[in-house]
Amino acid sequence: MNVTINEEGAKALVTLEGRLDTTNADQFMKDITPLMNGSHQEIEMDCTDMEYTSSQGLRMFLMLQKNVSARGAKLVLKNMKPHVKEVFDITGFSHIINIL
Amino acid sequence: MSIKKNFSSRLSLYVLLVAAGVMVAVAFLIALSAVMRITEDAREKAALTLDNTILKIEKVITEVERSVDNLDWVVQQHLDDEHFLYEVTRELVTANPNIIGSAVAFEPGFYKGRRYFSPYSYIGDVSHELHSFQMGNEDYDYPVLDWYQIPKLLGHSYWSEPYYDDGGGGQRMSTYSMPLTDEQGNIFGILTADISLEWLSNLVTSIKPYPNSYTMMIGRNGAYIAHPDSTKVLNETIFTWAMGMTDTTTFQIGRKMLAGQKGEQVFFNGKEDAYMFYGPLSNGWSVAMECPFWFVFIDAIDMIIIVFFMLLLGLLALFFGCRRIIRKLTTPIVEFSNSALTIAKGNFQATIPEVHSKDELLTLRNSLDYMQRSINSYISELKTTTASNERYESELNIARNIQMSMLPQNFPKRSDCFLHAMVQPAKEVGGDLYDFLEVGNTLFFLVGDVSGKGVPAALFMAITRAAFRFIGALGLSMSEVMSRVNNCLCDGNHNNMFVTIFAARLDLVTGEMEYCNAGHNPIVIVSPEGKASFLRAKPNLAAGLFENFPYEEERLTVAHGSRLILYTDGVTEAERADKSQFGEPALLQWAESLNPETSAEAASIDLYSQVKRFTDDADQNDDITILNILLK
Repeated sequence: MNVTINEEGAKALVTLEGRLDTTNADQFMKDITPLMNGSHQEIEMDCTDMEYTSSQGLRMFLMLQKNVSARGAKLVLKNMKPHVKEVFDITGFSHIINIL
Repeated sequence: MSIKKNFSSRLSLYVLLVAAGVMVAVAFLIALSAVMRITEDAREKAALTLDNTILKIEKVITEVERSVDNLDWVVQQHLDDEHFLYEVTRELVTANPNIIGSAVAFEPGFYKGRRYFSPYSYIGDVSHELHSFQMGNEDYDYPVLDWYQIPKLLGHSYWSEPYYDDGGGGQRMSTYSMPLTDEQGNIFGILTADISLEWLSNLVTSIKPYPNSYTMMIGRNGAYIAHPDSTKVLNETIFTWAMGMTDTTTFQIGRKMLAGQKGEQVFFNGKEDAYMFYGPLSNGWSVAMECPFWFVFIDAIDMIIIVFFMLLLGLLALFFGCRRIIRKLTTPIVEFSNSALTIAKGNFQATIPEVHSKDELLTLRNSLDYMQRSINSYISELKTTTASNERYESELNIARNIQMSMLPQNFPKRSDCFLHAMVQPAKEVGGDLYDFLEVGNTLFFLVGDVSGKGVPAALFMAITRAAFRFIGALGLSMSEVMSRVNNCLCDGNHNNMFVTIFAARLDLVTGEMEYCNAGHNPIVIVSPEGKASFLRAKPNLAAGLFENFPYEEERLTVAHGSRLILYTDGVTEAERADKSQFGEPALLQWAESLNPETSAEAASIDLYSQVKRFTDDADQNDDITILNILLK
């Protein structure tokens, strides 16, 4: 899973590429830690090239979402592939994470 | 122990070989120079012996000549006294041990008109008595004999060639003849002295400086005057001898001797190389001495034997000395080897011998010591790790047993409904769970999947299972059950663990099913006709995330003869090595291929083996749970 973070003021533009599964979930957590230090009011994640997420990966998104919600900021996931979006739908994560 | 296997012996042998090479080379050079020197000495000795011999003979000859020459004047003074002339010859023989006969021979007609007048005295060969007589007569016409005629013709003193005298001495002899001359220089007689060749021959042949060497003497014409083989004397010449030789240098020797030269010549004597030393006498004779070549080694051979024995003794001493020293030096290596072997056999506490030198042996000893310490430390570390691993493994196995025992294995034994479920964790323990409860004609059942895997998931799974066991038995609606379980799981869930659950209550008589889905995969329903489809239930939200989430329940009537298949994403997301997944379509396809008569257990096992076949030995990446119900 490649995570690229570009900052535009208080907005973070994040690009996610590849698979997010149990083997690299910890690394993903480290990669997105900068997004949880409170400096971004808006986080936009481009999921065009995200191929897969496991339930462990969902947990990471959830933790990020909880962090963002707690400080009144915004998290948006964009351009998600249908089969990845399905995982969010099935688990009900679509209800708590904003997926465009 | 053979020498090949014994390091010290082998090393000693190598040292010995090198030393032997050097010593032999040195000994050879010494011996060579010694032999050369000894050869030269021997040659000089031989030449000197010859010179001495010549001097001895020369002395005899000179004495004879002088004795005769001294009498010239006496004879001249007493020519008229006949008796005195006899006395002169007697005196010459008696006073001179080397002279065996003497004569004063006069020219025919000179002495008082006599045709022959020659007073003669000699010592008898046998009687050793002195005899005197007048020897000239018709039968012994001395003026024509060599000893008389030649000096007369030459006009000076002369040594005759050896001859056998049958008139006078009756033996082999040589005669010194001195002409007697008057004041006008006319020769009127010859004064002679005979020397015995037997005597001279004995003198010459007794000179034998080396074994197999001999000395001989030849006259002016090459005839032998003296030779160890007395039959050759007067009968053979040196050229007779040379003709019998293959080596033609022998002729040169003969010629040079006749020419009165002095020298030495190497030649082949028919058996071996030899030296011929030769030198002339003043009277034209020549003395020669033959020495076989190897005579020089007579002196050298003792020295060579001594050198050889010294060499042998030295090498033996060197070998044993070396072996002793090397053995002593290499003893630690043998001990190290034994220690290493002991260590290799498993006794890691084996003592490594101490070394007192500060050389490579100490380095070797330190290396061995370091190796032993490393091994011991590694083993002790390994023991700890192994013990720790064993403990973890043992604990995990216990945990697995506990977890498996949480999942009920006593499936309902009914005629109207068959249920079977199985869990296959990816690791020792997993986060999947199933449960069922049979209350009268209703069947409560669920399948859940905790996020993640391993011990954390297993702990969360245990909480979930306990919550359901407690809340599920209260007879609440499914949405209420789910809500309460959710709240229970949210309590203190700081790690944001969550679990997706499909839980349902099925009336086995009416087929009415009340269910609630908490973010779980859609279950598969196979109709009595064999048509398979996903039940797209409302997802709600995985449990454990948000307290008081409003879970909603749904209802569905399941036709008798239908099959319900519940599973976790370990089935649909089972991956091959190329990351392709088993997928929902394959699941549906499998479900439709099922025979309606297939038992619930057989169906579970069949699906599991289908998934395994698909992943084809790839590591199982997620826990797999399958629960299926066949409603009759």
